[in-house]
Amino acid sequence: MANDKEIIDNIANKEYEFGFVTDIEMDVAPAGLNEETIRYISARKNEPEWLLEWRLKGLQAFGRQKLPAWQNFEMPPIDFQKISYYAAPKSKKKYDSLDQVDPELLATFEKLGIPLNEQKALAGVAVDVVFDSVSVATTYKEKLKELGIIFCSFGEAVREHPELVKKYVGSVVPYSDNIFAALNAAAFSDGSFVYIPKGVRCPMELSTYFRINTENTGQFERTLIIADEGSYVSYLEGCTAPMRDENQLHAAVVELIAMENAEIKYSTVQNWYPGDKDGNGGIYNFVTKRGICKGANSKISWTQVETGSAITWKYPSVILQGDNSTGEFYSVAVTKNKQIADTGTKMHHIGRNTRSRIISKGISAGQGQNSYRGLVQMGSKADNARNFTQCDSLLIGDRCGAHTFPYIESKNNSATVEHEATTSKIGEDQIFYLNQRGIDSEKAVALIINGYAKEVLNQLPMEFAVEAQKLLSITLEGSVG
Amino acid sequence: MSLIQEPAIPLYDAVVKGYHTLSTAGADTEGVRRARQSAFDQWRLLGFPSIKNEDWKYTNITRYLKDEFALDGLVAGGGPVAAVAAPAGLVKKATIPGLDAFQVVLVNGVWDGKVHGASPKGELPKGIELLKVSQVLNDPAFAGYFGNGKWGNQHFAYLNTALFTDGLFIRVKDGAVIEKPLHVVHVFTADRNLLIQPRHVWVAGRNAEASVIESIVGGEGDVKLWVNSLMEIFAQTDSKLDHVVLQTAGTGVRLVQHTTVRQQKQSLYNNYTFTLPGAELVRNDLQARLEEDHTETHLYGLYLTAGGQLVDNHTLVDHQKPNCYSNELYKGVLLEKSTGVFNGKVYVHQDAQKTNAFQQNNNLVISKQATIDSKPELEIYADDVKCSHGSTVGQFSEEALFYLRARGIGEDTAKALLINAFAFDVTEKLRNEAVEHFVNELISQHIPSQTQA
Repeated sequence: MANDKEIIDNIANKEYEFGFVTDIEMDVAPAGLNEETIRYISARKNEPEWLLEWRLKGLQAFGRQKLPAWQNFEMPPIDFQKISYYAAPKSKKKYDSLDQVDPELLATFEKLGIPLNEQKALAGVAVDVVFDSVSVATTYKEKLKELGIIFCSFGEAVREHPELVKKYVGSVVPYSDNIFAALNAAAFSDGSFVYIPKGVRCPMELSTYFRINTENTGQFERTLIIADEGSYVSYLEGCTAPMRDENQLHAAVVELIAMENAEIKYSTVQNWYPGDKDGNGGIYNFVTKRGICKGANSKISWTQVETGSAITWKYPSVILQGDNSTGEFYSVAVTKNKQIADTGTKMHHIGRNTRSRIISKGISAGQGQNSYRGLVQMGSKADNARNFTQCDSLLIGDRCGAHTFPYIESKNNSATVEHEATTSKIGEDQIFYLNQRGIDSEKAVALIINGYAKEVLNQLPMEFAVEAQKLLSITLEGSVG
Repeated sequence: MSLIQEPAIPLYDAVVKGYHTLSTAGADTEGVRRARQSAFDQWRLLGFPSIKNEDWKYTNITRYLKDEFALDGLVAGGGPVAAVAAPAGLVKKATIPGLDAFQVVLVNGVWDGKVHGASPKGELPKGIELLKVSQVLNDPAFAGYFGNGKWGNQHFAYLNTALFTDGLFIRVKDGAVIEKPLHVVHVFTADRNLLIQPRHVWVAGRNAEASVIESIVGGEGDVKLWVNSLMEIFAQTDSKLDHVVLQTAGTGVRLVQHTTVRQQKQSLYNNYTFTLPGAELVRNDLQARLEEDHTETHLYGLYLTAGGQLVDNHTLVDHQKPNCYSNELYKGVLLEKSTGVFNGKVYVHQDAQKTNAFQQNNNLVISKQATIDSKPELEIYADDVKCSHGSTVGQFSEEALFYLRARGIGEDTAKALLINAFAFDVTEKLRNEAVEHFVNELISQHIPSQTQA
């Protein structure tokens, strides 16, 4: 029952935090990134020595690395020293009631059909009741515990299961991987930890959505999911509702580890604040996501629906180490106004008979720029490995752009790689056809878009898929004139 | 970035010295001199490319730069060296049986002024004009063709611009239709390691039509020849140009070949590039710049690589104006320990509405030790377009192989047959039968003994 108690404690703290904002503000570390800050964060979280050392290594790696210059967009200047790396608990912008919330935001909630309590939580309205989702989360937790599944915050995992965390943290995304991964390693705030024991099939979709009111993971989130032999888990991240967040830079790290015969399905719906029409404000979403199919016959599948953020820059990838392992990547990325998405995947085929499948659908509207960048690598031992890649781009409006940069590297003559990409706009004949049948242009476009993205949306868990579908239509509202 | 980059490369010093020799000779007009100066400055900044340059990510030239190379054509006092006689064997190797064409032979980029296979008097038809670049380089009437190029991040184009001395200037006059193809044989031969930098300018006038076949031979001995060739093609309004490139140089050649095609209204340009086993390094940069509307461009390529060969094809189709059509098909067959690189970029500017652009790259990896890196790219800033690309890497189809073997065809023969069928998609595009036959022969020559994986 320790877990339950903790949840309750957490909630209690949360309420406290919401109630006495000024008190909490005092807990914010001074802006700037240096050894002192890292030690401060680590001390505040009562972390063991090894984790502090690991953070410090990350900090060193961060100092050594330069910002990349190969991306297909102009990198906004980021002053890493102006960011406050520790604010516990983070203070969200709050309102006393929904009346004060941006009506446009509320309208969107309405369309998505989000319950009132959740609306409040998402918009950052102070909530003073222990509401449904928390009790739901509690019941879930018990059920999971019975099966031996560990699903908790990263901080909790460090305390309760240090041996697992120590063994696997940084094993897929090392602290030196790239500058943002290094930053995350040094300063990660919190995140989720999942462990599925051998042979267990997780009976429900694990979701951060349920935890939204019990956790405040902040801008440098770290997720670690381990699926032991023969297990299965489906994990959902994010939610369809527009999230308000005061942090501009998000540099999360997600690590997935699938042992023999295990399967991990990771779904993301991302709809962070994209900035205003001129591209001011908005979140920079620079995430490093990588999974490893360690054992034979394992499978990792990434599904993502990206509609938010000013800049989305991520390449969820899979290292196919085990023989016969499978990697999948399904993505829908929508950019409008001045949004930028530079996303794609990497499939590293190492083991024999490994397979990968990449389906990427980009939609650009307004002045949005959408890039697919992918790498398919066939190692010399990847006999009979196969890859299929399809990336399509849809253009709406003459100021947007769609770009494709696939990299194919093969060192094995028995490997097969197929890549195809198309770029076009919505056919006028298609719209005309629908118009004729009494469907107005706006609805026609929504219909076509949903058909276009269907292959990816089908991969999402049911409830999510329905919401994502609505989300696509809403995002593109007004793009077609 | 430091000015003195990679001082360990002897060629670097040779180039710097060579440039000073050339510039102090002072033979150039002001315009050419300025173009050379700025290219040289730029090259000093860029140096030789390394794998850190995105365009050279898969093509590491460091080991090819280790040798010492003398600079061709920069004898004391400046000016180009006199044409050397071409070894008859090499010219014979390049000669295409049954081809009815005018033939010119360039040795190390220098033309001897002779035209073979022309009328009894050795004359070309009236509509076509051939000149040595060294003759026209400083002629004000030709000023528009030299020094106007924009080379972006092309290291070797700057190097060539700074130091070239000669090459072939071809002009097909307005309205001229040249029935017989022109066969340009490039022979590279020397008794010591040499950096050879030919510079060619071809102009197809308004309504002109011509067909040019280039053969590249040489480098059979132990001598290392680094060839850095640059060609600019001006396809003027309504012109039609067929351009075949047969790269059959020997292992002694390291070939970097840059071709920029600038297309005007309604022009048609077809390029067929065949790279065969031999030259240890081949890097082709083929850039089609569609500067006006309603142009049509076809780029076909076939690379058959063997030994430790590294063949890199970079293409760019730059759609700047509306209503242009481009189609690209590159196929690769990789044998032994060879490496193939394909990078095809289609860039559609915002103005280039109604663009149709297609690109395809297929690779057949025969050997276990062969490597292929393929990077087809689309960069699109206009919405009313139809663009697509496809890329595949694979092996023989087991079914096809079984089908043939079940009919009593030996494994080697069956594989050779399948390779020929694979290459057929490109070779069939050739419009001259003699050339097509010649290319098929070349392919067959290299297949039989190589099919063992």
